[in-house]
Amino acid sequence: MKFSRLLGPLYYILLAVFLYLPIVFLIIFSFNDSILLALPLEGFTMKWYRAVFQTPELLTAVSNTIWVAFASSLISTVIGGMMAIVTVRYSFRGRKLFSSIATFPMVIPYLVLGIALLLFFNALGIPLNLWTVTIGHVVINLPYAMLIVGARLSDFPAHLEEASMDLGATYWMTLKNITIPIITPALLSAFLSSFTTSFDEFALTFFLTGTENTLPIYIYSQLRFPARLPLAITVASMVIVASSILILISEWLRTVGQVKRSIY
Amino acid sequence: MNTKKRLLALISLPSVWLLVFFIIPFSMMALFSFRDNSFGPLFPPTLKHYQAFFASKNYLRMLAESSWIAFLTALISILLAYPLAYFLIFRGGKHRLMLLSLLIIPAWTSYLLRILAWKVMLGSGGIINSILIQFGWISERIPLILYSRSAVIITLVYIWIPYAALPIFSSLERIEPHLFDASSDLGANPWRTFFNVTLPLSIPGIAAAFFFVFIPTLGEWVTPALVGGVDGIMYGNLIQNQFLRGLNWPLGIVMSLVLMVIVSIFTILLYRFISIRDMSSIA
Amino acid sequence: MKMKYVQKVVLFCLITVLISGCSPKGQGPVLLEWSGYEQESFWEPYKEQHPDALPVFSFFADDSEGFAKAKSGFAFDLVHPCSSWWKLYVDHGLVQPIDTSRITHLDTFYPDMLAMGQFNGQQYFLPWEWGYESILVRTDLAPDIPESWADLWDPQYSGHISMYDASEAAYLISGMSLGIDPYNATPAEQEQIKQHLIDLKPALLNYWLDYTEIIQLVAQGDVWLASHAWNDAYGVLLEEGYEVEFINPTEGRLSWICGFGIGANETNLDLAYDYLNAVTAPQSMANMGNEFYYGVASQQATDLLDPFVVEILDLEDPAVLENTFFYQPLSEELRTTIEAIWSDVKASN
Repeated sequence: MKFSRLLGPLYYILLAVFLYLPIVFLIIFSFNDSILLALPLEGFTMKWYRAVFQTPELLTAVSNTIWVAFASSLISTVIGGMMAIVTVRYSFRGRKLFSSIATFPMVIPYLVLGIALLLFFNALGIPLNLWTVTIGHVVINLPYAMLIVGARLSDFPAHLEEASMDLGATYWMTLKNITIPIITPALLSAFLSSFTTSFDEFALTFFLTGTENTLPIYIYSQLRFPARLPLAITVASMVIVASSILILISEWLRTVGQVKRSIY
Repeated sequence: MNTKKRLLALISLPSVWLLVFFIIPFSMMALFSFRDNSFGPLFPPTLKHYQAFFASKNYLRMLAESSWIAFLTALISILLAYPLAYFLIFRGGKHRLMLLSLLIIPAWTSYLLRILAWKVMLGSGGIINSILIQFGWISERIPLILYSRSAVIITLVYIWIPYAALPIFSSLERIEPHLFDASSDLGANPWRTFFNVTLPLSIPGIAAAFFFVFIPTLGEWVTPALVGGVDGIMYGNLIQNQFLRGLNWPLGIVMSLVLMVIVSIFTILLYRFISIRDMSSIA
Repeated sequence: MKMKYVQKVVLFCLITVLISGCSPKGQGPVLLEWSGYEQESFWEPYKEQHPDALPVFSFFADDSEGFAKAKSGFAFDLVHPCSSWWKLYVDHGLVQPIDTSRITHLDTFYPDMLAMGQFNGQQYFLPWEWGYESILVRTDLAPDIPESWADLWDPQYSGHISMYDASEAAYLISGMSLGIDPYNATPAEQEQIKQHLIDLKPALLNYWLDYTEIIQLVAQGDVWLASHAWNDAYGVLLEEGYEVEFINPTEGRLSWICGFGIGANETNLDLAYDYLNAVTAPQSMANMGNEFYYGVASQQATDLLDPFVVEILDLEDPAVLENTFFYQPLSEELRTTIEAIWSDVKASN
């Protein structure tokens, strides 16, 4: 019996090692004084970190990525939130159809989505730029935003809102004072989730990028050059730290609502 | 009435969005599949690309093989993720969500670089080879597992385990604890409880996990290109080839449409098992 | 009215999308270029001339990607494709004739290479760099050194060959190894070429995608025969001290040549010519040659190359160049066939 109690933690640790190994690898090599990814280690250096800040294309790529992630997450959250309210609080003919179409992008491989949007932009003569990338990211994040907010909304019965309106508030006041505060953790969770998806998005972005790169595209184009590899690794290490903070906040926010659920 | 006006106000923007950036592009894509070549006129429409696709044994076979790879990947991911989720729920205590999140963090690092790191570690110049040679288990360096179908599956499983664990975790979490008490009160040992209570109740989570691994894997092309070698090529690579190398967009679109049909069939089947809650836990 | 406000904001964003999507980008010329060629040492004179109107780059990793981008309406001022695609760009009206009187270094170009860029009596492309494609061999690991493209199919190398993922080169190599003229093959012969490539698959370790990968693989010793590799990989590995050889197959090495063309749209023409002149200046070309170990299209630039590069390029030995098989312009039909063949080869087992 004693042994079986160890199995669980052992398994967890094993998986954790498996998952973190490449990360540790990357972080170690970001301090390594060599352009080759090989042992033995050559010596500790901060030069790659310094070099990152001296490479304008890299910094631009990072700022582009942040911009796209922010914009697409904002749009996804707003539109997704609206979709959630519509599908959970209202019943109308065609609700199932609307819901299916809205969630459909989730099941379409990014490759196909990228191609469809590329064709669309080409046909309209819209040149590829960060906006087209943003639109692509919204398309893939929208279903998740809708589901996250929808899940939270469906946990709360509608009678709170009904009570509010019975007491004389207009619908819009109700939305502002009741509904939105209730779903705010979900909105933020959807935002953060979209943000982190968008940040490392490659497969879809690949088709929709023009002259302005995002970080994953930049990294991909730099993989060809051995001399540039350490820079890419260093940036990735920095991104890990930032992403981990974001992920932890996102998880915390999601659970905030779950604690309150026990009241009902 | 008032309700209708509200509904209209809320639904108009999403509808316009879906129409402009989803429905229209896909309709265009469907129309494009009848185009003679990538850059010529739209009329007259032709079925020749559909014919070419179905006449070739290779494309359909690749689709079947890729489906199999995707299936295996999903299966293995679930088999590995389930114990993890189980352990976290039942032994994780109040920090279980945090523990799970810790495993999700690597997933947010550059996917390309993580794969590169694995390639270097597994490659014949890498650590694992060094260790094996040190112990005398192999006499010469070999690129372990790389450049094969197995490499693709292993790499994909590596990527997907955290994502598979999430919905399973979520559905296990929702099982009422008193059911376990009831089960043991009725005399069932832990195994029977597991098979008769826990497992059946976690099926929505398992189905969601399967869904979320299988479908993206079907369209994968990046991982096969990086670690697949010659026989790890997947259907997605062929599609990508048509667009970026072959310049045969109509054929690429036909291939994409066929893929989407397969995926849609699967989705409809899976929708029977999944609820909104399960899907949301993935995000 | 919060919702309506939010709606307005988002609607505004959507409109801005469409509008900003149509606005012209940047001040300098827009280049459709291979990734890696944006280095300033390749176009330094332009930077001195126009420090405020720097070029804007859009990258592609393969000629077909570049062509697809150009054909989809991407507005570029200069494009840098390789010779087998030049005719396609001209036929599709994507490039305009170059006014050779505006090219300051015109007389420094090798006449043969310059002639390759002429179509319908006009100069559409200025040649810039060229290189070989051949089998790169780890002479210390391979049991025998291959002497012909056909040796790729020799079972003694099985499992240690990596092939570049390119349809055209594969087609040419396979054709040459069978003794078939790939540009004039009958459908039956094309079927042979295809089958020959399928037969090679079990012997391949993988398809390599970029030169970092192939250098790594050859350095590690996993790959004994890299088919085909360019002189840049050869140069890097030699410098790192590996025992490698870039062979001279009996059928001849393949050789590619790439160059610049001016986009068919009329904006930024002056800047485009200034950039062209900067990039075709002998020193600029030499900088690139020294960086990538490539050959350059002008005698004066060749004179400025490092001796190591000259050695790698076998420039001292005219016989090599004579036996070289240059990529010829492809007709659209042949290109489609070649792509279909490659797609089939990759899909079959």
